[in-house]
Amino acid sequence: MEKPILGIEDIKRILPQRYPFLMIDRVIQLEKDKVVALKNVSVNENYFQGHFPEEKIMPGVLIIEAIAQAGIVLVDNIAKTDKRRIYFLGAVSKSRFFKPVIPGDQLKIEVRLIKFISNIGIISGEVFVSDKKVAQAELSFSVKER
Amino acid sequence: MANNIEQEIREIIAEIIEKKPEEITPDANLVEDLGADSMMALEILAAIEKKYRVVVPEENLSKLTSLRTIMELVKNLKKK
Repeated sequence: MEKPILGIEDIKRILPQRYPFLMIDRVIQLEKDKVVALKNVSVNENYFQGHFPEEKIMPGVLIIEAIAQAGIVLVDNIAKTDKRRIYFLGAVSKSRFFKPVIPGDQLKIEVRLIKFISNIGIISGEVFVSDKKVAQAELSFSVKER
Repeated sequence: MANNIEQEIREIIAEIIEKKPEEITPDANLVEDLGADSMMALEILAAIEKKYRVVVPEENLSKLTSLRTIMELVKNLKKK
C-alpha cells in the first residue's frame, strides 16, 4: 500500500467538494508540476444504483471529475495562498476512455500541469487501473479567489 | 517554410476555437472577430509551445491577438 502524502482530511481542507462527490481518497505523490492520487471504487458508490442496474460501470464524467479534483490539489499546492479559491471548469479536450471502471478497481490518477498563467490553466490527466490506462483528458480551468 | 507555419498555426487556432481554417485570416482579432476567450488563448499558446518546442514568456500573452502576431512570435522564438 502506497503511503499517503495527503490523507482524506488533508484533501478535504483543499477541495470544496464533499460526499458523495469526493472523487479522490488519497494523494501519494505531489510535486510542483505533477500529482498522483488514488480513488477506490466501491460497489457502494451511489451512482452504481443507476449506472447501470444490470452492469455497474463508473460514469466517465466522474473519472473526469477525479482528474479535475486531483488537479485542484496540484494547483493549490503551487498557489501557496491561504485564501479560499474556487475553480471553474472551462474545457475538457482530448478525452478518451479505454476500459470500463467497475467496482473493486483502484484508480491511479496522474495529473500534470501543462500551463498556468495568472488565473487560468491547463492540466493533463491520465487514469490507470493496475497500470493499464483506462482514461485520459486535458482540462482547462479558471481560478477565482474569494 | 513561412507559409507552412502560417497554415499550421491557422489549423491549431481553428481547432481550438472551433472555426473553419479559412475564417482565420492573418489580421482577424482572435477575441473580437473570432469569439475566442482567455482560456482558448491559453490553449492556443500551450498548443504552440508543444508543437514548436518553444516557451512563450508570460508577458507576451497579451500580444497574441491574431494569426499574424502569433506567427511573428513563433518565428522570433525559433530563431533564438
